[in-house]
Amino acid sequence: MASSPAVPERSILHVDMDAFFASVEERDNPELRGLPVIVGGIGRRGVVSAASYAARRFGVHSAMPTARARRLCPDGVYLAPRMQRYQEISRQVFSIFHDFTPLVEGLSIDEAFLDVSGCHQLHGDIETIGRAIKKEVRARTGLTASVGMAYNKFLAKLASDLEKPDGLVRITPANLRATLDPLPVTRLWGLGKRSAERAHQAGIHTIGELLATPVGALEALFGRQAEHYRCLAEGRDQRAVVPSREEKSIGSEQTFAHDLRRPQEWERVLLAHADKVAGRLRAASLSARTVQVKIRTGDFSTYTRRHSLAVATCETAAIYQQACELLRAWHREHGDAGLRLLGVSVAGFEALEQGDLFAVPGGERELDAVVDRIREQFGAGAIRRGRLLGHRDRSD
Amino acid sequence: MKIISSRDVLLKPLSFIGSVVERRQTLPILSNVHLRLEAKRLSLTGTDLEVELIAGVDGVEGGDGECTVAARKLLDICRALPEDAQLEFSADGDKALIRSGRSRFTLQTLPAGDFPRLEADDWAFEATVSQGELKGLFDRIGFAMAQQDVRYYLNGTLIDIRGATMVAVATDGHRLARSEIKLDSAAAERHSAIVPRKAVQELGRLLEYSDEPVKLQMSQNHVRAEFGNLVFTSKLIDGRYPDYEKVVPSAVNVRLALEHDRFRDTLHRASILTNEKFRGVRITLSEGLLKAVTTNPDQEEAVDEMPIAYDGEEMEVGFNVGYLLDAIHALGGDEVEFALKDANSSCILRTPGTEATFYLVMPMRL
Repeated sequence: MASSPAVPERSILHVDMDAFFASVEERDNPELRGLPVIVGGIGRRGVVSAASYAARRFGVHSAMPTARARRLCPDGVYLAPRMQRYQEISRQVFSIFHDFTPLVEGLSIDEAFLDVSGCHQLHGDIETIGRAIKKEVRARTGLTASVGMAYNKFLAKLASDLEKPDGLVRITPANLRATLDPLPVTRLWGLGKRSAERAHQAGIHTIGELLATPVGALEALFGRQAEHYRCLAEGRDQRAVVPSREEKSIGSEQTFAHDLRRPQEWERVLLAHADKVAGRLRAASLSARTVQVKIRTGDFSTYTRRHSLAVATCETAAIYQQACELLRAWHREHGDAGLRLLGVSVAGFEALEQGDLFAVPGGERELDAVVDRIREQFGAGAIRRGRLLGHRDRSD
Repeated sequence: MKIISSRDVLLKPLSFIGSVVERRQTLPILSNVHLRLEAKRLSLTGTDLEVELIAGVDGVEGGDGECTVAARKLLDICRALPEDAQLEFSADGDKALIRSGRSRFTLQTLPAGDFPRLEADDWAFEATVSQGELKGLFDRIGFAMAQQDVRYYLNGTLIDIRGATMVAVATDGHRLARSEIKLDSAAAERHSAIVPRKAVQELGRLLEYSDEPVKLQMSQNHVRAEFGNLVFTSKLIDGRYPDYEKVVPSAVNVRLALEHDRFRDTLHRASILTNEKFRGVRITLSEGLLKAVTTNPDQEEAVDEMPIAYDGEEMEVGFNVGYLLDAIHALGGDEVEFALKDANSSCILRTPGTEATFYLVMPMRL
């Protein structure tokens, strides 16, 4: 195979679960099979997280407001997401990936890059591995995955999307041009709506057309990004597969039925999310170093603010305080606003939390432990922070 | 001033000074060594404003006087000269000239009068111990000191003198080391002071395992150790050290006497699959068995077991494996006592039947 001598030939897979949330629901509820299943915020202002292929035939797709989906597909089965269940299945799927190679870079709960360059002796050539992974995923989880195979990440990801669902596509230097040239330029990684509009105005619609455009003209269109797009169009991408933990962050967020205007309300919501996130950390025997808040205003502007703590924590109070500080700083910066969404997430995990010799007995950590035990026994709603009492969740 | 000396005589004191002098200094003169020759006694002084070391050499020929030159450069020059070389150092104006054989170096000097000294106040306490005893004490506890902790008083060692006993305690809040030595005479009052981390480490390096005496002195703000041809002075950390006696668990439910090397090797093997961020080891005690398990983010796992004399209830505790190994290494001996109250309280490590030296390690929450 022709390849630049400086870059050793790599074998990269991109594995993408098909309509993951919806497929898990169908798997757990066989009577749903074949129906248009839509998972997402099911309230007035929710957004679709996943749509089964039957639902997609109605034009429903993820990130679409649920209200719009309901108009397109009034007879669909609308389900609220069960993140814990999806995470459980995701762990099974990722452990299959790890059976083949340690170089697994998770992109989200349901997709990952795998570098199998060093595994051919053990598991065979790239297509054998691609097929074996699909087979294992189906055998162990009952779900289908689409697998893209190529010699770099960009092409592998592109390939996995070409014959979804249940796809298995390989891009080689031999079929590279035939595969890429007819595809729209928006398939190039990083080329967004605005750049696409500019390209279209210049008469460039496909990757082939972009490649036929002189470098100077591309630079006039895309500026500094021109070189990047050209590389991708030529099928070049040097990014390495960086192994990562399965879960990079744990978060909880909520879209409100009505925009929230009062800072006291915001902080109450943060407390609820901080409590949920901290509880999940403790359940996973993890503590986290970085706290992030996500803020979306009524006009859909989205902001994230993050801060790293000196010591990793899984305390509700510590995460809540940090989240409040971040939100207050945002408030000072932006002034009053109506918030459509608020969320708290944590990242930078450390396993096990180191105890402190000089901790004050009866401190926050002991309180959290008691709360966790009560919830374990009597359910999540059995005990709540005093500040949350009397306020029903105003989520969808 | 002029110094005529063999290179060997200067090398050792200069290398002591070199480790006290910080490499990156805000004040230029702090990277210099202060040299003074008076009645054939050469004194070399280095300081970082927190600690000060004076090294003396007797029987040095030349002409009396003082000056300061870059400590690191002078040390490197002496190191690079042939072993039996003679050198002549002469300072005049703002330059110093070093001549040895066919080598010549001209160095800048800074005025000796500008060299900062630690002005020690009146000594309130004085005792003499052997170098080996004191070095051993610092070796046993020094590793547990905090490093650049915001609780600045933990970035040092507590020296607590009660009667004829000198107790040393170091902790970073996660683990604690406590040991003691006997003094030649009993102090009338209790003296306690926090000696900064750098001073403890430098003293540990300078002291030798010998019976030669060290004169120890303490005042409100300083501690001084005089031994051999060295006078080492350090400022003390002004702060309140946590009450270490309060965190020693009062009652333990499990007390195991473990073969030292076997316990160490078991933990060491388990630690191979930990990394800097994930140092946790899960220790499970069950009837007749201690199991150490580690996992890492790459989903690898190590399991190592050793037989123990235990017939209590099954118990699981998590620890930073590095903290346990530090303590076990420092203890040495044939057996280690590993005592626990429960999975949320600190464990105690010590040599069975001894009280003077022990280590506390706080668990990691499972």
